[in-house]
Amino acid sequence: MIEFTLNGKAVRTDDDPGTPLLWVVRDTFKLKGSKFGCGAGLCGACTMHIDGKASRTCMTPISAVSGRNVTTIEGLGTPDELHPLQAAWVELSVPQCGYCQSGQIMSAASLLNKNPTPSSADVDAAMSGNICRCGCYVRIKEAVLTVAGQSLAYNADEEIKA
Amino acid sequence: MKAINMSRRKFLKTSSVVGGGLVVGFAMTGCSTVKLPIEMSDYGFVPNAFLQITPDNTVRFYCPRDEMGQGVTTGLGTLIGEELDVHPQDMEISFAGVHRDYKNPDFGVQGTGGSSSLKAHYLPLRQVGANTRALLVEAAARDLGVSVGDIATESGHVVVAGKRFPYGQFVGTAALLTAPEQAPLKLNADFRYIGTEFSRVDAIAKSTGTAEFGIDIDIPGMHHAVVIRSPIAGAKLSSVDKSGAQNMPGVTDVIEISSGVAVVAEKYWQAKTAAEKLDPKWDDVALAKVDTSTVRQDYAEAMKNEEGVSDTDEGNVVAGLESADHVIESEYWAPYLAHAPMETMNAIVRIENGEADVWSGTQGIVAAQGLVARFSGIPVEKVRAHSTYLGGAFGRRGTLTHVIEATEVAVASNKPIHLLWSREDDIRNGVYRPASLMKIKAGVKNDGSITAWQAKRVGGNITPKTLENMMPALFPGLGDGTIDFMVGLSRDVFASWVVDHSSVEGLYEDYDTANKTVDHVTVDHNLPLTFWRSVGHSYTSLAKEGMVDELAEKVGMDPVQFRVNNTQNNPRLNNVIKVGQQQMKKMQPAEGRYLGFASHHSFSTDVAEIAEVSVEGNEIRVHKVTCIVDCGIAVNPDVVRGQMEGAVMFGLTAALYGDLDLEQGAIKQSNFHDYPILRMGEAPEVDVIIIDSGTEPTGVGEPGLPPIAPAVASAVYKATGQRLRSLPFKLA
Repeated sequence: MIEFTLNGKAVRTDDDPGTPLLWVVRDTFKLKGSKFGCGAGLCGACTMHIDGKASRTCMTPISAVSGRNVTTIEGLGTPDELHPLQAAWVELSVPQCGYCQSGQIMSAASLLNKNPTPSSADVDAAMSGNICRCGCYVRIKEAVLTVAGQSLAYNADEEIKA
Repeated sequence: MKAINMSRRKFLKTSSVVGGGLVVGFAMTGCSTVKLPIEMSDYGFVPNAFLQITPDNTVRFYCPRDEMGQGVTTGLGTLIGEELDVHPQDMEISFAGVHRDYKNPDFGVQGTGGSSSLKAHYLPLRQVGANTRALLVEAAARDLGVSVGDIATESGHVVVAGKRFPYGQFVGTAALLTAPEQAPLKLNADFRYIGTEFSRVDAIAKSTGTAEFGIDIDIPGMHHAVVIRSPIAGAKLSSVDKSGAQNMPGVTDVIEISSGVAVVAEKYWQAKTAAEKLDPKWDDVALAKVDTSTVRQDYAEAMKNEEGVSDTDEGNVVAGLESADHVIESEYWAPYLAHAPMETMNAIVRIENGEADVWSGTQGIVAAQGLVARFSGIPVEKVRAHSTYLGGAFGRRGTLTHVIEATEVAVASNKPIHLLWSREDDIRNGVYRPASLMKIKAGVKNDGSITAWQAKRVGGNITPKTLENMMPALFPGLGDGTIDFMVGLSRDVFASWVVDHSSVEGLYEDYDTANKTVDHVTVDHNLPLTFWRSVGHSYTSLAKEGMVDELAEKVGMDPVQFRVNNTQNNPRLNNVIKVGQQQMKKMQPAEGRYLGFASHHSFSTDVAEIAEVSVEGNEIRVHKVTCIVDCGIAVNPDVVRGQMEGAVMFGLTAALYGDLDLEQGAIKQSNFHDYPILRMGEAPEVDVIIIDSGTEPTGVGEPGLPPIAPAVASAVYKATGQRLRSLPFKLA
């Protein structure tokens, strides 16, 4: 039995400890916003926050998140209450197919938590693990830089306390 | 940042619509007696297959095309909303079920592709909106006791003497009336939504993880299936020891199916882990003797020794070449490519009480319905097919092997099945953009006029493979023998009699010359092939534009001016080239950066692109791309820009990285480490200039792609003196 915190709620699962967090969140806890893209930590579609840090959960066994704090896209904001990054994503019509965008937004949120005023090169470096096959990179970067420097309604400290 | 008015935005409902429903009024294809797939969850008015209006004034649009990121829900919602006077963001948009009224007017079947949707639906969907609006106005006139002439409409309301009444108030009366079939359409000058910019109707769902893709479907009792397939396409299972997988935790079934061995478990990870214990043996197939070097050698020999089949023969090419001051001949290579959409293939199939449901993100949901019927034996009318969002497609989601697999597993296991491919499955067991060897021999006079254009392409054809995929799906009752016969026939026809046009499209059309020939030699090594974003244009553009650059250089002309001079017969293409030329003159690239230009006509749209490039060591870096596009009326200019930006990135991935190798018949690459996709740090800035030509809309999903590789090649030539004629680009 492994216990951890998922979007602020204590959860437990008897899934095999080697099961990647992505599949536990999707199949056991039925949160479908985080996506499978490669299964090898190469594309970032599965990105969630573990203790506030962007992590590739298709490669993270749940044994590694025991007692830790996991946040998914569902924990970041909702359609009725958008996180500033999500609002910028909507405003700039960033998504095309949209499949990678949960992972993109989680990587961006992690970056802004650590570095609220990133340079263009900082954004490139932080987002280089997230592939967008539709090629929405110009807009993703614009959205991140738009939000950068604004006060965020959400931050890593709050996430860990939750 | 502007505040977002959330109340304006409705979320796209992905639950598909099935079952019975009230059908009144007209349908797009005429007086339809076929039951609509719309389920009446609440009382409402269904004037046709596309709209449902409820008393609480919910306006629901059943979008007949598949949303793969190209913005079709926003675009088609804008067309119908424009005439209905409802803002597209105020509609609920649902994906349509299968019905003959949802056929793509360009294809005659219910499918999405070929950058066809806006062009094909521009007038028909506006007409549906206008007819429905006229009906609501007539109903309002009766209910309110005023004349039709006193009624205006705006934002889902009728307006009488300044007072607003929601459409929903009149649906009861409207349902009793007969709608007009040809209500007048708005003049362009009166458009409220067409040509304006607002954020995509799916942007909120896709920014909050709430958009539902096929992979997200979760139904009661669902089990997960993983299939082990032959590493070599077409090889059938010869034997498998199931015991290694059978006793793994959670595993319920290990089943032999047509494509390999399926492992079924309660959870995906259990199925995946158990499947890795299998070591099936496969039959031998001819493809097992083929390496990439075999393909290239076979193509080279065919290019040299075989005449092929004629596609085009205009004027007299021999005389044209003789009259030239200079003749140039060059060969160009493009490899097999995978689409690699971010969402890997998946399908969910449930079979219960002699009926079936299938959920999948496809480019033709009718094909999913047909395949489930064919492989389950359930009559097609008892198969409910539900569309979802597509996590990318680019041509890949027209081939639905995964639906066949899920159906076979559901039948054999007697369980609802969620079947998912891994990324390795996607790259190694896919359907591919065909490899191509192209040769162009062209003549030019010293004055810069082209005297002859002789083009030839060697490679496999897509159309017979498409028939092989689509016939079992579209005609589930047709016997295997008949299908094999017809597919074989089409293969022979395209190898020996007529050219499959998608194999050579874009190789010769754009430039003026009286003397042109295009020949084609079919050489096919039996790797599955299909459409890949911009199809033939994805490889022919490099050959055609590369040759034009070489001709211009030979006669000492500026390559852009050379294009202007030689596109007099294609005025719209000529215009985007001229606009590009003006843009280019204003650009002052920094030290060490070079500008390359290319243009291309595809899917009825004309695009020119200017790439700003530097070369450091052997690394090509693209800093900025300026894209000039004429796609007629830009229904939503921001969506058009997005498609151009995306096509540039997709084309750059192919130009700089895209390569698949065959080793003893198997694809060598497997995941994003050896099949890389452009990442943010490598992505150029993209400026898009949309030409306001005012004509009816043409395609935007694909036409941005073809010019980028030749534009980069042209810049690299300026930087290094090397002509790049082989994809992906490698500097010597």
